[in-house]
Amino acid sequence: MNDNITIQVKNVSKKFKIPVKGHKNTLQERFLNPFQKTEYREFNALKNLSFEVKKGEFFSVIGPNGSGKSTLLKIVSGIYVADEGDVKVNGSLVPFLELGVGFNPDLSARENVYLNGTILGLTKKELDKYIDEIFDFAELRDFADMNIKNFSSGMAVRLAFSIAIRVKSDILVLDEVLAVGDADFQKKCYAYFDRIKGKKSILYVSHALDSVEKYSDRVLWLREDRSYEIGGAEKIVNGYKNAN
Amino acid sequence: MIGKNDIDLYKQFVKTIFKMRYKGSLLGFFWVLLKPFFMFIILFVVFSSVSGQVGNLTSRQYAVYLLSGLVIFTFFNEGITWGMGSIMERADLILKINFKRDIVVISALTMALINFGINLLIIAVIGIVLNIHFSLLSALYILLIGLVMFLGMYGISFFTSIWMVYIRDLAHITELAMQLMFYASAVFFPIELIPERFRFIVQYNPIAIYIQSVREALTYQNIVNFKFVIGSLIASILLILIGNIYFKHSVKRVAENF
Repeated sequence: MNDNITIQVKNVSKKFKIPVKGHKNTLQERFLNPFQKTEYREFNALKNLSFEVKKGEFFSVIGPNGSGKSTLLKIVSGIYVADEGDVKVNGSLVPFLELGVGFNPDLSARENVYLNGTILGLTKKELDKYIDEIFDFAELRDFADMNIKNFSSGMAVRLAFSIAIRVKSDILVLDEVLAVGDADFQKKCYAYFDRIKGKKSILYVSHALDSVEKYSDRVLWLREDRSYEIGGAEKIVNGYKNAN
Repeated sequence: MIGKNDIDLYKQFVKTIFKMRYKGSLLGFFWVLLKPFFMFIILFVVFSSVSGQVGNLTSRQYAVYLLSGLVIFTFFNEGITWGMGSIMERADLILKINFKRDIVVISALTMALINFGINLLIIAVIGIVLNIHFSLLSALYILLIGLVMFLGMYGISFFTSIWMVYIRDLAHITELAMQLMFYASAVFFPIELIPERFRFIVQYNPIAIYIQSVREALTYQNIVNFKFVIGSLIASILLILIGNIYFKHSVKRVAENF
């Protein structure tokens, strides 16, 4: 693979079998209906999709619900495997499909920073170094020893975000991270985008079309009929807006 | 290819499981000690106070007999159960992050190993109270048996943790099988109490063999079943190697089947 390319998706297809009737995940179902065939409805989440993300590129994916955006991110992140085609990733990749992954409500904020930070690929040593800055940035210094279950959702998101921006990876995969916070939080996110733009490769999914247009170098538009279009941010976003 | 972060993540997982298991309970960590101790006291009182003698064991011999049975069986039960449930239990993480999945499995087994270590300490304390003489060789042999069991259960968990995702009943089946095993391993009664024609169940049951070996080591400083233990060690290592290949191959498809 060309050194200048960080993510290469080639002819990728992904089908999901959704059990309509007689899903046999427990033995009871198998015993009670031994001769009933499980009926599946096949759902093509992605079909013959190809694109490349270049080094340092801010690459966004837009499309209506059910067009395969999240499936695509999960395949690129190595959580799902493609049925057909090939995905190559060049460099370290950390997915943010959700902020605060692994947060445990019964542990203190400090314990959760170590837990979530390690899950995101940081070492304990690095977290020892960053922990004060993480709490300062989240404006939660006085709450470090409080259990997360007593946090408001805003506080939890702020903490998760200040851990997330410490992550050292060449590639970030971001799914709707802006959807969770208030205006103040979104401002912080945009400031972060400004800082890393051009330095990291970013695969970004969002329904916030303004931010997509502002930050993206290129945009991939996934349509419900599994066709797609790739191009400059302004052109694709406008096309998407007009289609709806 | 084990990175620095993988080791830290492993430590974090073990720490978290450990904290969560006893958090919010009044006695916290002491439950680790109390639970096996209570089990021991109950069985001991019930069986030895009836006649003052169990089979042809004095009550002091019976105490050692019972303890070694309980400790080995508890290790087996926890290792198999927790290893099997490990992937299922961390479905939330597996659906969101691309960390090395086997860390979850080894963490669950480590938790069982920690409990086993604590229980061995209890045995040592009770042994000192009862004035039982340990030899270094028998102590090492017990540790070797612990290691062999750990490796074997690790190998098994590579398979069962994946199967559990597809057949949820495995949890219930295992629970029943464990109850059966508890009796089939002669944990709390002398083997002589089993009728001759059923005794093969104990003779061919690896857990019963481990228990018996630990008993002999503790009571008479005898090393018995050494060949079997070494054979199991080799089998366990093979199981880990094959299991690892199976796991690496199958775990990729696990996320979409939760």
